[in-house]
Amino acid sequence: MIRYTLIRTLWIFIILFIVVSLNFILLRVAPEYPPPDPDQRDIYYERQRDDGFVTRVTLLEEVEEDAERMEEIREHGRELAGVAHFDDRNGTMWVYEDVPIMQQYASWMTNILTEWNWGYSTRIQVNVPVFDVLVSRIPVTVQLNLIALFFYIPIGFTLGIIAALKKNSTTDNAISTLVMIGISVPNFVVMSILVLFFGYTLGWLPTQFPASDIVGIIQLTAVVLPVLALASNPIAHLTRMTRAELTEVLTSDFLLLARTKGLTRPQAVVRHAMRNSMVPLVPGIIFSFVGLLSGSVVIEQIYSIPGTGRIFVRAMQEDDYNLVLGVTAFYTIISLFAVLLVDLSYGIVDPRIRMGARK
Amino acid sequence: MSRKKKRQFEQKTEETSTEFSSEDFEFARRDEERIYDKKFETKPVGFFRDAMKRFAKNRYNVYATIILLTLVLLAIFVPAFTTKNITGQEPQLRFLPPRIPVVEHLGIADGTSRVENVRVDPDTVDLEEDFGLPSEDRYRHEYIVEDSVEANYRYCDDIAESCFGGQNVLTHDGEDTFTILEAPEFWVFSDAENPVVEIDIESMSDNPLTELTVFIGDEELGTITEAGTYTFDVDPQTSRLHLEFDAVANEYVSLNSVTLSDDAEEDPLYFYEGYDLAFWSIDGEQSDASYERRDGREMRIDFDFDEYEAAFGQREQSAYSSRDYYALIEEYDEVCEKTVDPDDPERWTFSEGCPVIEVKGQSRPIEWEGEEYYTYHVVLDYAVYQGFDDTPYFLFGTTSNGRDLFAVSWRALRTSLFIGVTASLVNITIGIIYGSIEGYYGGKIDLLLERFAEVMGRIPWLVTLSIASALLGPGVFTLFVILIFSGWIGISGITRTQFYRYKRREYVLASRTLGAKDRRLIFRHILPNGIGTIITTSVLSIPMVIFIESTISYLGFGIGHGVDFNVGPVEFSGVSIGVLLADGQAQMYANPYLTVAPALIIAILMITFNMFGNALRDAFNPSLRGVEE
Repeated sequence: MIRYTLIRTLWIFIILFIVVSLNFILLRVAPEYPPPDPDQRDIYYERQRDDGFVTRVTLLEEVEEDAERMEEIREHGRELAGVAHFDDRNGTMWVYEDVPIMQQYASWMTNILTEWNWGYSTRIQVNVPVFDVLVSRIPVTVQLNLIALFFYIPIGFTLGIIAALKKNSTTDNAISTLVMIGISVPNFVVMSILVLFFGYTLGWLPTQFPASDIVGIIQLTAVVLPVLALASNPIAHLTRMTRAELTEVLTSDFLLLARTKGLTRPQAVVRHAMRNSMVPLVPGIIFSFVGLLSGSVVIEQIYSIPGTGRIFVRAMQEDDYNLVLGVTAFYTIISLFAVLLVDLSYGIVDPRIRMGARK
Repeated sequence: MSRKKKRQFEQKTEETSTEFSSEDFEFARRDEERIYDKKFETKPVGFFRDAMKRFAKNRYNVYATIILLTLVLLAIFVPAFTTKNITGQEPQLRFLPPRIPVVEHLGIADGTSRVENVRVDPDTVDLEEDFGLPSEDRYRHEYIVEDSVEANYRYCDDIAESCFGGQNVLTHDGEDTFTILEAPEFWVFSDAENPVVEIDIESMSDNPLTELTVFIGDEELGTITEAGTYTFDVDPQTSRLHLEFDAVANEYVSLNSVTLSDDAEEDPLYFYEGYDLAFWSIDGEQSDASYERRDGREMRIDFDFDEYEAAFGQREQSAYSSRDYYALIEEYDEVCEKTVDPDDPERWTFSEGCPVIEVKGQSRPIEWEGEEYYTYHVVLDYAVYQGFDDTPYFLFGTTSNGRDLFAVSWRALRTSLFIGVTASLVNITIGIIYGSIEGYYGGKIDLLLERFAEVMGRIPWLVTLSIASALLGPGVFTLFVILIFSGWIGISGITRTQFYRYKRREYVLASRTLGAKDRRLIFRHILPNGIGTIITTSVLSIPMVIFIESTISYLGFGIGHGVDFNVGPVEFSGVSIGVLLADGQAQMYANPYLTVAPALIIAILMITFNMFGNALRDAFNPSLRGVEE
């Protein structure tokens, strides 16, 4: 068990490392979009120099070679002259040049590991550390997803249990239909329809997520629609899985034994069937958090929720790649840790499974 | 045979041996063909026939499949055969609500839209009847559905014609003590019989020193000190009315109305309230007094507006290029019969069925580069002008470009389906090859390939999305890269499992012992058993791909407007269902139908596709062979 845990953990960290590194290198290959404001840009590149992504060369008008180079840079502009940035004032020019990509990568890794420095936002909140931008958005997203998580589990279980106990009845068919709809319809479509119906047509719920400084009941009602949209798919999946698992357990031998011992059907179902059918569902529930999280990217976009998903989309639209890197790293870390948790939970929740153990 | 029985048998044969000879016996079926060579009279049920049988068993799945097929057929044929605009810009036809034959008589989807909270044109207002009409420039009154106008009121205190009633309040500021409020015009009532000035005061400061003195010209009529309605007799003359407000700082008087009436006329000669009263001028020693409106009512109306009549009715264009005009007349040569106005040779009308109803005049020609240019002032029959015999039906309404949403939706579905199916085919091919290699060879190859697949599969789609769109920019190719990047992993996993599951089965072993080659083992024994699951997973991966595609396009990173592409002779628009939904999102308040239709289409597509996949799963599950429910 310990060996298995260690191997899985190590493996997840390797994947994390690969994904984050790949992401950094490939995004660095893409053209860079520095802050549009000249002063901000100067600050940004000075910071980039501190972080070890660019080098700075000072050119002086008095020196002949430098003057030629300065003329060249002024004439061709930043991109054609092959420099990252230049700051030209009073006969002195500071020229910033990109260091080789692997060197940048090394600096980046060092910055993160030693200073927890994820770089600076270039467009969304200019020159604010990416991590700070991200941290201010995380609570909204996580809160929303946790509500969805705690909302969908009981509903999914209940529906699944009802469907399994009343198999092939009208109730079961109705639930199956709902499950089919929940599984099939994309959550942004669900969200659009919900907003349209409850927000605009009926006017019961807000059509947009309120700003955080608005207090009152609207903060509560605003959560309803995104949670419903987020939960529609997990509810359907959980219901289907619970139904399948419970149906299987209900026909198993040990349940027959429980009945022959003299337990009533409800007793047998609650004490024996349910407990056993829950076991395989636990990993699915852990993993569903990742699904919720990535599903909420679109939901946040539709409902203008100021969370990590929305900031990701905005950062992508405005080419703020440092921020993109931070957000994707956040999602990668969460999803990989969920994977790890799932892997480990297979071993923990069900003693019959001992993964990686010697046969 | 036990010894005891043997003995009994021997005894019996001894007793009966004399009764039968060999002639008494005869071979059964001697004349017929040998039984073991006889062919089956029934046809063997093959794998796919068997699958088909099970497929048809579940009615709902069959219905779903039929609906799915219908959707696919609509997606293929509607954009090809539509007569309506699906690519051009028709700003005149933008945002028409859905109009569906038959259903329109039920009062829904009849081409009218409920317009809410519109300001009224003050000239049309009838306060007693609670009726008003909007300004004619935006909503032509003839297209407002009769009896659909509902008025509601809101508070207003601005000096605007649309703000009715209420009071005008004169308040003294800081140091004012004396202010004059004067009527804007001279009253001419020298012919009036017993003229009476009536002043209605809503309220006034309680201070006993506060006084409002009424003057007409220099003649003082009386003094008012508290709220109420006061009448003063005046002599007929021509003069101006003014009120002198004498009060200390911060005192006020609130006026409802000022009327001058006489016995001869029923209507008052002069009447001021609300908006009119607000134009009285104030003049005082310091004149810092404020004179403001309060408690007025502004009428807003809700009404049904017939958008189709408005769009396709008569439309006047004052500068219609003469070239276009002649081209148009030539095109409709047969139906356009010209009747020139006998009084004015520059005006003429056309017979019914012609896109031009009337020409009202023409501009002076302008010569430029040797050619003459001039325009006509025409009245067009817009339905005919647009190429419709009658007012058309836009089943789902029209988009912001004036395109028919019905055809555009199916065109979008075609794009979504094409991308979904193509990307899935690539995924399936890669997945099956990859999975087969893993599964069949096993061992170290399997281990390595499996680790690689795991790393690929663990990359969140946001990472793929960000890298692909940062390096490649949005477009069809990027979309394919994102869809294929990790899309094949599911299918490779299933294929691998299937290979592992069946390659060590007894019947495979038996076949191998009988000398079967690898090829026979794979295609005759392993794949047929596994193919069902593989096919099911493959089919179910298509809606998944469409789902991801629409999500990415919805967010604006996939395809979009203007990203059209061709595959052979077929043109695909860059507008997939996801893009349509994103367009609808922007118009959700004003034009909700733009969201409804694409949302329903993709929802139905997904549901039926999944049900079809489930039906296939049951059909291809050999363990269900012969199981009767």
